[in-house]
Amino acid sequence: MAHIQWTDDLNTDIEVIDKQHKRIVNYINSLEDVKGQNNRAVEEQVLNELVDYTLSHFAFEESLMEDAGYGFINGHKRVHQLFVKRVSGFLQRFKLGEDITEELLTVLKAWLINHIKSDDNDYAEIVRKNLGDMHEKKGDGWLSKSVKKFFG
Amino acid sequence: MSYLQWSDDLSTGIAVIDSQHKRIIHYINQLEDARSLNEPELVYEVLIHLTDYTLSHFAFEESLMEDAGYVGAEIHAKTHDSFKEKIKSYAERHKGGEDVTEELSKLLNVWLIEHIASDDASYAPAVLNSIPGINSDKKKGWLTSKLHTFFS
Repeated sequence: MAHIQWTDDLNTDIEVIDKQHKRIVNYINSLEDVKGQNNRAVEEQVLNELVDYTLSHFAFEESLMEDAGYGFINGHKRVHQLFVKRVSGFLQRFKLGEDITEELLTVLKAWLINHIKSDDNDYAEIVRKNLGDMHEKKGDGWLSKSVKKFFG
Repeated sequence: MSYLQWSDDLSTGIAVIDSQHKRIIHYINQLEDARSLNEPELVYEVLIHLTDYTLSHFAFEESLMEDAGYVGAEIHAKTHDSFKEKIKSYAERHKGGEDVTEELSKLLNVWLIEHIASDDASYAPAVLNSIPGINSDKKKGWLTSKLHTFFS
């Protein structure tokens, strides 16, 4: 199966979010690369990093939606929670020795593309505006402080 | 080849929901491609995306209905569950080597007309009213058309 290629329609035009989405794409593509190498330790490391990063991204995204007063935040959070549950199921199977990587990659790719294009695209305008307003009020540096809170 | 197009009749007035619903149109068209190009791989791709759709989109929608206190939420969720089971069954049959293209295409077409155009249209007013500030033009339009229906 091929790598995910970043295309314009995946851009939310929120630089910090697009950067995080691209990082998730890179993790997925890395998992694609290590899949065929028959090295479970490496696969496990990439999987764990992907999951950890995605959880931080979700929390960050939800905080941006909350701050912006995005109306559909609860629905969006529910989709995030369901995704975490699905991936946890795959991780459990992996830990029990099952070869789930191919199946997981298929799920991840479909989910990410659809989620960014539909769900994330919908909050983009209101979050973008709020970030602009916050930047005016608080100046430089506050956003990177906020990112550090979630990503360490 | 003539593809199915999105029609405004299918719009719920909720942009993020419409964006998710448009995926069904895309899948119907992809199945048409699969049939005319004789590519079972495309059917597999549609089934992967449909599985994601039944999980992510339904979770999002059900969250919206719950938050809005929509009276039909429980029955609506049961319809979702039934569709989920059908997609699971098609995925299994496809995995077993069966050609499910025709049947799956019919199911999606019926779903578009019976569920998206009807059932989803039914919850839309409750959701539109429950989320402050969204689609306010559409809310006004909906109310005007309702007034016309009853008072013209």
